[in-house]
Amino acid sequence: MKDRAPTVFAVDDEPATLKAIARLLRAAGWTVAPYASPAEFLERVDPDAPGCLVLDMSMPGMTGLEVQLALEARGVALPVVFLTGRADVPSSVKAMKRGAADFLTKPVDERDLLAAIERSVEKDAAARRDRAEVAEITERLATLTPREREVLARVISGKLNKQIAADLGTVEKTVKVHRGRVMAKMNASSVADLVRLAERAGVRRA
Amino acid sequence: MHLSWVTAAWSAAIAACVTIALQHVWVWVKDRSAIDHLVTAAAMLGTAGVGVCELLLMRASTPEEFAFVLRWVQAPVAVTVVALIVFVRSHLHAGRVWLFWAVIGTRVAASLVVNFLVTGGVIYSEVVRLQPVTFLGETVSTAEGIQSPWVLLGRLGTILMLAYFIDAAITIWRRGDRRRAVVVCGSMIIYGAVGVVHVALIHSGRLRSPYLLTFAFLGITAAMSYELAADVLRARDLAESLRVSEAKARESAERLGLAIRAASIVIWVWDIVKDEFWISPETRALRGFESSERITLDRYLDAVHPADRENARERIGVALAGNGIFENEYRFLGPGGERWFSVKGIVERDAGGRAVRMRGASLDITARKAAEAQLLLQREELAHLSRVTMVGELSGSLAHELNQPLTAILSNAQAAQRHLAHAAPDLGEVREILGDIVSEDKRAGEVIRRLRLLLRKGEVSHQRLDLSEVVADVMKITRSDLVSRGITASVNAAADLPAVAGDRVQLQQVLLNLVVNGCDAMAGEPVAGERRLTVRVGPESAGAVRVSVEDHGPGIPAERLTGVFDPFFTTKAQGLGLGLAVCRTIIDAHGGRIWAENNRDGSGASFHFTIPAAGPA
Repeated sequence: MKDRAPTVFAVDDEPATLKAIARLLRAAGWTVAPYASPAEFLERVDPDAPGCLVLDMSMPGMTGLEVQLALEARGVALPVVFLTGRADVPSSVKAMKRGAADFLTKPVDERDLLAAIERSVEKDAAARRDRAEVAEITERLATLTPREREVLARVISGKLNKQIAADLGTVEKTVKVHRGRVMAKMNASSVADLVRLAERAGVRRA
Repeated sequence: MHLSWVTAAWSAAIAACVTIALQHVWVWVKDRSAIDHLVTAAAMLGTAGVGVCELLLMRASTPEEFAFVLRWVQAPVAVTVVALIVFVRSHLHAGRVWLFWAVIGTRVAASLVVNFLVTGGVIYSEVVRLQPVTFLGETVSTAEGIQSPWVLLGRLGTILMLAYFIDAAITIWRRGDRRRAVVVCGSMIIYGAVGVVHVALIHSGRLRSPYLLTFAFLGITAAMSYELAADVLRARDLAESLRVSEAKARESAERLGLAIRAASIVIWVWDIVKDEFWISPETRALRGFESSERITLDRYLDAVHPADRENARERIGVALAGNGIFENEYRFLGPGGERWFSVKGIVERDAGGRAVRMRGASLDITARKAAEAQLLLQREELAHLSRVTMVGELSGSLAHELNQPLTAILSNAQAAQRHLAHAAPDLGEVREILGDIVSEDKRAGEVIRRLRLLLRKGEVSHQRLDLSEVVADVMKITRSDLVSRGITASVNAAADLPAVAGDRVQLQQVLLNLVVNGCDAMAGEPVAGERRLTVRVGPESAGAVRVSVEDHGPGIPAERLTGVFDPFFTTKAQGLGLGLAVCRTIIDAHGGRIWAENNRDGSGASFHFTIPAAGPA
């Protein structure tokens, strides 16, 4: 997953514009996947592909905002750079509220476009990294026994072994053993590290 | 002194004849064409001559003397007779021509030729002795002699003369001119017959009497003179009534002239055979024609504005070849500048159907033309205003249309810059990019051209148009507006449509109006599904093309269906209410029809307009 190069997806019903933008992005070194209609793009979109989407705002059949909604519904988290022929404030506000990465007016200068794409791809990469990390932590968490999870929840809330033993109705020595296992399974180097991992994975304190 | 009745009677007759003769001669001298007066004078003088001779005969003292005078009396008799029948011919226009010549022939032969060739004369070959008789209380001479055989020739001439008079009398009577038949011919016949019988009785020796021909002739010539006098009176009456009618004619001509000047009408007649125009004099100068100049058709057309000249010539040709009615409007170039005339002419033909004349009138319509031009200008300004308003409404759409190619151009150009920045640039790619830039630039130019065309404030120019092209143009202009309003538009154009004659910009304007209105009507409909706009172009019966714009909005309340075309009718908060009114003006000017109706299925309304098909190219 980490190896996949980012792709810039571009959707515009205007063939000439689509071709020109794809050309520019390729010349700037990006891998580009152009689509002439929203429907075609939505049909073929790969949720795992990293990169970003350059989307024309007004297209027959489906507006950019509708495409954005459809992507959300499919669980595709590609950042969207909107291109619009007219700087129409209400729809740009709507788009940004829904998490548009950028909102650019046509004709768009390469600096603005490339910068927006750069940011979006980076953001996507970061988001993906983030998601990957959380997934890994969650995987590690899954290896914990129920008792170990209980111990973890109390460790990250800063309780001492003695308090934990009291909570769980066991002896301090047993807690210590569990704690060691948790640290090892979670691959945590310190309690602080463990706290960070648990927080990332959204483990509730107890 | 003893008064001689004979002398008195004959002298009075002679004097009367000469006096009246002199009067007629005087008339003839004054008016050389009055030949009848000369003829009458000749008859009178002849009669006077006869009178003198008869007086001499009565006073003759020897047979030789009697014979001599009797021979010479033939000359005035011949003059009188010829004058009489010439009068009948020339004044009364009656009598057979052959009889006329026969009378003259026999009379001249008997009285002038034979009379002086044969011994003794045409009456008596010899006067044997004088026989005194008592006449009017005195003794006068008569003769006793041997009748010449030639007397029959004279008598034949006399009978032919009477026949000629009778023939003429019948003709005149039948002609309905009874007064003349009775007065002139009647007196000629009666006096002639009496004279002939009297003379015949004397010559045959059955009656001892002096000759009384003078009085017979006097009666006839008096009738002639009376006839001429009556003519003079009639002529005076005629002259009077002519004067009156001339005055009337002059007055009505003046009135007509006044009317013509007041109405700025030019009357003209074109003599086609001589190729010459007569133009009412007061208007010649206005056209720059010299007052005495000969105006041919070419010269006439020289005065017509060059732009109208060939058309006018062509229309004249059509009128001559066709139904003979020439109607046209053209400009004349005169010293006072250019003036518009409405010209109407009617061709007149001879019995053979050949066009010989064209009569017509030209009406100065410069003021009307100016008003029309002003109206047209106002209409064009209104149309322009409405177009500008509409373009304003469409500005977002038009900006988008321009943005597309500009976006492509900018991105392409920057891509090319990137390629060229490489150490080994891909020139093939760059070339392709430049090609795309060129075509996108042209596309932008096309958008601007369409926009400029719509915003242009130009003269209306009618040309052959394919309405489906006009529809396609309008759909291009509105495309992105339709997209942004979530409207699905479809065009349904029939193939092989006839061309129409029209102004592209104005028809685009009408369609734009209808399309934008249709879109506005559907603004309140849910986006999904029902925002459909259909434009149909198809043949209309009777050689026209119909364009329909169908929306699926709420429709138009029935009571407003006709009112929508009224000026200042609007349902829009921002609308001027002129759009459809201007549309109707434009379609009217194209000879077409525009109307609105609600769709049969109850969803939305349709606007239709028709434009007559243009003739073959």
